[in-house]
Amino acid sequence: MKHLSRAEFVDLIESSPVLPPERARHVEHCERCRERAETIRSVRSMASADGMPEPSPLFWDHFSARVAEQLRSEPAPAPSPRWSPVPYATWAVAGVVIVLLISTVVWRTTLHAPSPATPAQLSAAVDVVSVDPVDDLDNDEAWAVVRAATADLAWEDAHDAGISAHPGDVENAALQLNSAERIELERLLDEDMKRNGA
Amino acid sequence: MTVTRNRTDSARPDARPSADDRTLVDACLDGSRDAFNIIVERHQRQVYQLCYRFAGNHEDASDLAQDVFIRAYRGLHSFKGHAAFSTWLYRIAVNVCLNRVGGRSQKWTTLDAADQPDLREERADAKILRGERAAAVRAAIARLPKKQRAALILRVYHDLPHDEIAAIVGTSVGAVKANFFHALANLKKLLSPKD
Repeated sequence: MKHLSRAEFVDLIESSPVLPPERARHVEHCERCRERAETIRSVRSMASADGMPEPSPLFWDHFSARVAEQLRSEPAPAPSPRWSPVPYATWAVAGVVIVLLISTVVWRTTLHAPSPATPAQLSAAVDVVSVDPVDDLDNDEAWAVVRAATADLAWEDAHDAGISAHPGDVENAALQLNSAERIELERLLDEDMKRNGA
Repeated sequence: MTVTRNRTDSARPDARPSADDRTLVDACLDGSRDAFNIIVERHQRQVYQLCYRFAGNHEDASDLAQDVFIRAYRGLHSFKGHAAFSTWLYRIAVNVCLNRVGGRSQKWTTLDAADQPDLREERADAKILRGERAAAVRAAIARLPKKQRAALILRVYHDLPHDEIAAIVGTSVGAVKANFFHALANLKKLLSPKD
């Protein structure tokens, strides 16, 4: 049979009715539990023998007066905010309605949201971004408009209009080229230099 | 001659000394300071005794007890009435004592001779021995861990049932009994003469 637990020891020394009789009889056969029970029983008796020193009767009158004096400077305790005596069922219904409203708003928002781009649309956008502007210049409509507008424009007239090169314009333009444009510019310059015997 | 009553007085909860704790608390929350004075007078002895067991001397016990009632007054709105008011008050007292006393060494003093029980028949040596043993017990209790000390004081000196102690300290009945067992076992060790 297993030894008494700590709670059972306490029930035993206090003669608590919650301890089953067969457990209480365990100490009759177990020396270890019997000694242990006797030890804590004697300590409990020793502790309880320490009586409580009683203060003077005047102490109690003075004590309550001191507490009352100190409470005069305290604000009056405010009652806790009372919720309206609404039954729980009403709160539950209100909660369900709120959840339904939120769900409806979310559903409608996602219903009218723009549909995500299809893979074909995505690849077309990528194609537009990745088009090499140098290679496609001849077919570029915007450039065609510029060419048509400037076909009859004399250099002197362009200069007078302020559409002319200024010192540093070539360098500035070269610095603003992207890497593909720079590579193409180098190729064109090499071809030109080879053609001129450089 | 007609007596006109203040409408607010008649609407206030009863604040008579015979009123139960719940009624007195309601009266306090309604603005009656007299109601709380009645609560103090009703529970001051138990609160002071508990504080004395933790503090070990009259002055500290008095200060602690005063603090307990001040905190109770401030927190009256939190008393819901699910447990007895005394349980709620004990909980505040235990927390105040454990927080304030904690691991500090207590000053154990005895009260004036006029406050002691009349023991003229007791032999002087027995009286001294009894006093020394009591001092040793109190010093040993002061060295117990907080939960063990609380369980022992509430059970041995206030004779509270284990389920009420559990409600006060916020644990289970099993934990209270375990702490009480360990408190007694540790007391035995602390009080055993060293070889």
